[in-house]
Amino acid sequence: MPKRWQVALFLGVLMGFTGLFIFSNGAVGAAKQTLTAVYSKTAPAGLDDPAWGKVKSLEVPFEGKEKFAGKKAAVSAKAVYTDSEIVFWFNWKDPTLSVTKEAWKFDGQNWARQKGDEDRISLLFEINRIQNFATKGCAVVCHVPAGAPNAKEGKFGTATEAEKGDLWHWKAARSDPAGYADDGYLTKIGDTKGGRKPDAGKGGDKPNITDDKTKPKYMLAPGKKLGKHNILLAADAVEITDYTIFKAGDVITYRMPLAAEGSFGDIKAVSRYGDGAWTVMLSRKLNTGNEDDVAFDPRKKYNFAMALFDDSKDYDSYDSEVLSLEFKK
Amino acid sequence: MSEVQVHAAGQRPSAAAAREGCGRLLRVRVPADAICWHRFFGALQLALIGLLFLTGVLMALAYTPVPGTAYDSVDYFQFSLPFGDVVRGVHHYAWNLLLVVMALHLLRALVLGAYKAPRQPVWVSGVLFLLVIPLFIITGDLLPWDQKGYWSTQVRFSIIASVPLVGDFLVQLLRGGPLTGIVALTRCYVLHILLLPGVLLLLIGLHMYFLATRGLSGPPAGEAAARPQVPFLPTIANRWLAVFLASAIGLGLAARLWPAPLGDPADPTDSSFIPRPEWWVLALNQLVAIFKGPFMVIGSAIIPGALIFLLAALPFLDRSPERRPSKRRGVLLGAAVVLAAWAVLSVMGYVEHFVQPEP
Repeated sequence: MPKRWQVALFLGVLMGFTGLFIFSNGAVGAAKQTLTAVYSKTAPAGLDDPAWGKVKSLEVPFEGKEKFAGKKAAVSAKAVYTDSEIVFWFNWKDPTLSVTKEAWKFDGQNWARQKGDEDRISLLFEINRIQNFATKGCAVVCHVPAGAPNAKEGKFGTATEAEKGDLWHWKAARSDPAGYADDGYLTKIGDTKGGRKPDAGKGGDKPNITDDKTKPKYMLAPGKKLGKHNILLAADAVEITDYTIFKAGDVITYRMPLAAEGSFGDIKAVSRYGDGAWTVMLSRKLNTGNEDDVAFDPRKKYNFAMALFDDSKDYDSYDSEVLSLEFKK
Repeated sequence: MSEVQVHAAGQRPSAAAAREGCGRLLRVRVPADAICWHRFFGALQLALIGLLFLTGVLMALAYTPVPGTAYDSVDYFQFSLPFGDVVRGVHHYAWNLLLVVMALHLLRALVLGAYKAPRQPVWVSGVLFLLVIPLFIITGDLLPWDQKGYWSTQVRFSIIASVPLVGDFLVQLLRGGPLTGIVALTRCYVLHILLLPGVLLLLIGLHMYFLATRGLSGPPAGEAAARPQVPFLPTIANRWLAVFLASAIGLGLAARLWPAPLGDPADPTDSSFIPRPEWWVLALNQLVAIFKGPFMVIGSAIIPGALIFLLAALPFLDRSPERRPSKRRGVLLGAAVVLAAWAVLSVMGYVEHFVQPEP
């Protein structure tokens, strides 16, 4: 065989091997929606950062549960990561802005808590593997079938101590005005308590109510401004000493967002409501070093699921199927 | 008598035997083209098997063969231990490459008539590798306990079960019960790390022994001509080491750049998961798909079995001493037809499983 043919054959075999590597590394198995976090040197500065325009969005379908049964919703999702941070961008239609969360309203004589909840979006990742979460998603922790080890009325959690989830919970009224999403985790359901716990640190919200539960206890401190959507932040509140200053129609926040500290405040949030849609950006360190957080390793894929709450609480939600998060440099 | 003499010289018998062995090895001379740049598939095959053994042992140090923890132990090894991704990646890419190299090695021998007398045992022992290596892959696939491995194993069990008379028994033997669980995982693990490596080492030994006693094949037209010889140690050994190092570095880089896949953890209750066949079984899978129902055995056992049998029997069917390809058109045409059919079936399988949308 002439030498040049031998060289050609050798190179052909080499190229074949290369192709084989790529092919053999290809997807095997059933399809699952994948959100690809794209690498960027710097994290997007905000909701309208041009970087988001370069990232392909994933349209995630959601199905209604409980009072939303039979209804559908959809969220556009994007993700970007840097050497130290991961940033998610979500956009979904919602014709009504819901941030009431039982805010107090004065009718001229009495205070009463208004009906109305808030809009929310939550994400659940695995810190330690949760049995069958990869295939069944929230069905194994939020909507468990009767007979499952963690199927206890009204509870939310995992079946064993070894299984642990990282819960990101953005709340339009109770966390967003303070600039973060609640960072919690999910562990085994106890006999008397659910498995949902807050991360170490401080945060959440403080009820604004007097001891006799008839009226708000706090109002905006002089010189301070109300937060986003006219929410009263706990840090800007002062105890009410004179209730005669209020007039009919006045509204005061009932659940006042607290400033977050420690692991509880790991997830920074920026949001906007406009044109009948929410746009929310959540960012966090890839690895916070906290035991109650999932540590993202860009070499790995992560399963996660999402839930939307439209002016609703508890199980009245729209849920996504389980999704895969991967990183692309 | 000799034992007394050795003792008299102050040496232990084993040391003397070792010295004698080393001396003999140093005196071994082999054809200079035993390993060269246009003839290295055999050496590469041995290098890849060496890498598979080495990386396999390293992975076994962290692996726990229990369904509840097998996946986590593999995940931990790959992503949490230093160079775990490289080791697992090398293992993954090495078996993929081994299949290709094995096929090319066999093809080369077939085209150049290297199976002919007196080298028939070399050929037959080489064909036997075709039976053993896939068993490694089949048993190894289940070990990470991920969706792909679990459901691929289920499919394979159903194919094995279609073999008349022995199919059900074999599945029972492998699975150890009605469900694929801890017993199946343990048995696959033992087969993968203990029994099959033993068989493979034996086969390698046999293949080498036949190579040493029957000789390496020379050029088809000039077998009788004297070929330049070089010492096995260090010339050929060094060349093999170069092949080993090159493949280790190449595969290591590939593993670092494109990590070995690790799917979702196995969920035996998720029957919606449909595993896609891997590239090397696309043709076989298509054969099984063509012969459905009671005829499945034709695709699953009869045709592949007949092909292996024909391949092994080739030196005894084609007994003429002629080795030049131009004078052996019948054999080569037959081989080309089989290869073309294999390629067509593979492409059909690829289109069905990877191009057409999921139903």
